[in-house]
Amino acid sequence: MLTSKLTNFSLPSERGLFARYVILTAAIFLPLIWAFVYVRNLYPIAAWNVMMAGGDLERGRDYCILRGETVSGETIDIPAIELTNALFSRTWTMVNATIRNQSFKLSSVHPENLELIRGAGGVENLPSGARLPDLLDAWGRLYNQRLPEASPQRLRAIRLDLYRWEGRTYSDYARFIQSWRKDL
Amino acid sequence: MCLPLAESPAEKKLLNLRVVPAGALALGVVRSIAHGTFLVSVLVTSFSALGTLPVTILRPTGAMKLLPWGFYDQLLTPSGMAILKTAMLVSLILSTTGLFTAISTKTSLLLVVFYQGLVRSFGHFNHDEMLAVYCLAVLAFTPCGDSFSMDHWLRRTKRHRPHWAYSYPILLMQLLMAWVYFSSALIKLRVAGVKYLSVDNLPALAIFHSLDNLHDTHFKLAFWLPQVRSYLPFAVALVLAWELLFPLAVFFPRTRWWILAAGIVFHLSTLVLMNIFFPHQLVLYLMFVNWDAVARRFRTPSRPVPLND
Repeated sequence: MLTSKLTNFSLPSERGLFARYVILTAAIFLPLIWAFVYVRNLYPIAAWNVMMAGGDLERGRDYCILRGETVSGETIDIPAIELTNALFSRTWTMVNATIRNQSFKLSSVHPENLELIRGAGGVENLPSGARLPDLLDAWGRLYNQRLPEASPQRLRAIRLDLYRWEGRTYSDYARFIQSWRKDL
Repeated sequence: MCLPLAESPAEKKLLNLRVVPAGALALGVVRSIAHGTFLVSVLVTSFSALGTLPVTILRPTGAMKLLPWGFYDQLLTPSGMAILKTAMLVSLILSTTGLFTAISTKTSLLLVVFYQGLVRSFGHFNHDEMLAVYCLAVLAFTPCGDSFSMDHWLRRTKRHRPHWAYSYPILLMQLLMAWVYFSSALIKLRVAGVKYLSVDNLPALAIFHSLDNLHDTHFKLAFWLPQVRSYLPFAVALVLAWELLFPLAVFFPRTRWWILAAGIVFHLSTLVLMNIFFPHQLVLYLMFVNWDAVARRFRTPSRPVPLND
């Protein structure tokens, strides 16, 4: 019945609208089906592969804590979302990618990163988190901008502490690995 | 301009089916919800802070790779991002209120697709906003400004199109939401298989997402999960079943309340257990409300408000 109605138009404008809806439906669903079949995200085409692999207790996991050292000498935890809220749900993957120097491994690398690679004699010679000091500097400045010049809560340094949960048991979550620190 | 159409017998039958009994008003409301969600999101977001991040950590994703680095160098500055935010606000205000709808829905779509691509180029793909982006794509090419819009109010004349001109776009958006959940469950089963139902799947994943302070919230309920790990495969199986059954919400209105209520519980659970939240997707549940019936209720207050049934 639906088919007979949709193909029995009384006006040319109806035919045009019907054709538009057919094209719209195909333009949206065909790429989505492709992404689903190959389980591949190619922005803006999405495959809903959120948490598809699930958790694995045997596998260790690294994670980071962003901290600041205040002028008054305190060490405080800094929620990164309060500094760059545009990165809602994405801050942790951005930091992980920066630690792994992912922006140096693109098919088209930023010219400044290319220079750094040349200077180091190859991507493999770069230290992990080669661009982390720049990121920490940006975050530190954003934090301090929100406080008065004389505030003892202003940061004199900001750092990212990397920890590892080895897995296998539900304990020993915080084995310290490494820290990146940036004086402000 | 479309001319008034009398309802044919076939169309009357179609109306009686009432799978998606949406008219111009309902489509207009859904336009306001989808565009308004992005409008609020852009309003509360500091674009200038994003503009201070180093462009050298950017990893353009998908279509974003087509743009040259010189463009990103210019854009990722506080002033470049302020211009982007202003353009988005103007366009989204117009499309949310339904002014110059035919154009503003398209400019909003383009700007949102670009901005979402930009933030994805910093972090990971993150699927929360993607359904809403696809809804903007549907709305950009459908007559969503024929009612519940400034265009309609200024024009003061009613456009007459066949019923399906308004109901099909809503059906399409509901099908997209069903696809999101249904395909998500199928991919989990394809990739992980029955291993997805292991006792440690949920606690290991939830604890990992609760260890750092880089997630947006810092709930610690995940650390309680190992104590009840033997029950968790049943909970995970229940979630998979709910995802697989989500399409029923589109075609069987009687199941709709239950499926959507389960969705709200699911998304709130991922928030407190995993510090992962999908607010954009949750807001779009409102597209299942029968807005025509809501409007009728305001005219005749004694009638109950059903969902799309």
